[in-house]
Amino acid sequence: MAVFLQSLISGILIGGVYALIGIGLTLIFGVMRVINFAHGDILMVGMYLTYMIFTLLGIDPFVSVLITFPLMFLFGGFLQKVFINRVLDALAQNQILLTIGLGLIMSNTVMLIFTSDYKILSTSYSSATIKVGGGVSVSTPLLISFLITAAITAALYWFLLKTDTGQAIRATAQDRDAAQLMGINVKRMSIIAFGLGSALAGTAGALISPTYYIFPQVGSVFTLKAFVITVLGGMGSVVGATLGGVLIGITESMSAVYISSGWKDVVVFVLFLLVLLFKPSGLMGKSRT
Amino acid sequence: MNKSILKSAFGILLLVGLLLIPRYVESPYALHMMILLFLSVAQGQSWNILGGYAGQHSVGHAAYFGVGAYTTMMLMHSKNIVPWVGVWAGVAAVIVVALIIGSICFRLRGPYFVLASIAVAEIMRLSAINLTTLTNGAEGILATELPAFKIGATVVTDFVTKVPFYYIGLFLVLLTIGVTYWVQHSKLGYFFQAIREDQDAAHSLGINIALYKNIALVISAVLTSLAGSFYGIYVGFVDPPTVLGLDVSVQIMLICIIGGMGTLWGPVLGSLILVPLSEALRSNMVTDLLVKIGLVNAESKIGIFLKENLSHAHVLLYGILVVLVILFMPDGLMGFVKKLALRRKREAV
Repeated sequence: MAVFLQSLISGILIGGVYALIGIGLTLIFGVMRVINFAHGDILMVGMYLTYMIFTLLGIDPFVSVLITFPLMFLFGGFLQKVFINRVLDALAQNQILLTIGLGLIMSNTVMLIFTSDYKILSTSYSSATIKVGGGVSVSTPLLISFLITAAITAALYWFLLKTDTGQAIRATAQDRDAAQLMGINVKRMSIIAFGLGSALAGTAGALISPTYYIFPQVGSVFTLKAFVITVLGGMGSVVGATLGGVLIGITESMSAVYISSGWKDVVVFVLFLLVLLFKPSGLMGKSRT
Repeated sequence: MNKSILKSAFGILLLVGLLLIPRYVESPYALHMMILLFLSVAQGQSWNILGGYAGQHSVGHAAYFGVGAYTTMMLMHSKNIVPWVGVWAGVAAVIVVALIIGSICFRLRGPYFVLASIAVAEIMRLSAINLTTLTNGAEGILATELPAFKIGATVVTDFVTKVPFYYIGLFLVLLTIGVTYWVQHSKLGYFFQAIREDQDAAHSLGINIALYKNIALVISAVLTSLAGSFYGIYVGFVDPPTVLGLDVSVQIMLICIIGGMGTLWGPVLGSLILVPLSEALRSNMVTDLLVKIGLVNAESKIGIFLKENLSHAHVLLYGILVVLVILFMPDGLMGFVKKLALRRKREAV
């Protein structure tokens, strides 16, 4: 029972970070109908940014989120304005290829600058744990990152539901043309959406940097995970991505314990294929048109 | 009429030239480059049939490449089965895999299909890492000792030099181009293109979408598997990232994107650009050139940095090329050239 509880809790904690990655991707897809294959690489840039801030300025990774978030927002806005914006009306495969290309450029530029060595960002609490009782303990950095994730997700929900800009973004996601007719600047909304998506991915990168190896190719794993999460939750659904993230986190940690850690990703992908086959609209998605 | 005679004469001349090269060129490096080029053309052509003609943009072709390579290598390594038999075992395995993948993925369209194809390839890669008893896991399979190829008692070749590989590669190129040409000019090919252009319209005309998509997939997968087996035998080593990684899938697709999807010569053009460029970066030719021109001092910090790192950066070049091609010539180089020619024609009139 303790083992079950233990893996459930760590699954939920890592799932929080996954949710952040998934929400970013789903936001971009919702507003622009572009599947961002560079999402994991944006996350990787966030990791390196955090690493740089930590080694050069000595700022704790959880504090430096305050710097990473706006910087990654600008980076995402730049990507949207210069590249993505030009292919909004292009064929789906061209959009996919463009983002794959951008991802390759990011990971390889980072590799040129930092070499492909594994970097470790070790803080005083990197391997610290907190005992909860009943033989269950929680990793301190994971717990902190989960709390920050929860705060960011709450703020994001508030932003999307209550503010004018947030409502305009949701309107654009619902119907781009209608939104434009209502006087919404859809181009700006796209830039904000891509910026937000990138900022969320970058933040997720910052939050996991104390517990993960940092290397240029780390992104592709997260790109794939982000897809699984968003498809599971329903493409374009923020609530779905939140749920999907936590579900994938739990699935991973459970299958690591009860099957084997080598096969946990296979379990996730098989789950992904099953969702695609039997409920392609996802948990929260509306049926595809 | 005249034009077509000219075309076939040129084709025959080119073929004779390619057949004669190993007679006059002895440098193993030059032959190695040609073999890489052949492999790339074969990969691109194979993808082209599914992606270019049938319009199903698979980003999971590493699955077929890797399964072909692994099957041949595994049989040779552990069961001592000669590769030219193992190749066909690879083909059989790939057909099974392709039909499973097809029955799952072809229910999905557009981006969903792309995602599913990636997921399947990833499952293959992770399985190759985890099924250590079969695949030797992350260490990969090393098998450089090739048995001599005999017909009866006469030894045809003992695979000591690169020449036999050159001819196998050339054969693969001819085979894939031949199949593509046949697809382009047969009823089957028209069905594929109808599905690519408008799936619903094709369906309403009575084309069995699922069947023809699966046929395109199997043809494409079998050819990719042959290329994979060839790669395995030639290099003598396979491990999960080099034959089953996501990079492999992207690279295979890139050949067509850059050259031009759905055209007979697109993959050839794409390979002619990609292979030499990435080789030039890999072997530090670019850095040497920069030093020679006097742009960069070899002893300076930048020179040393470039020398050490630019060789790993050939993938960066792929990235830049993709972005440029998608933004400025979305139909690939072939499409771009055709457009230019069309414009010139119009101006002439």
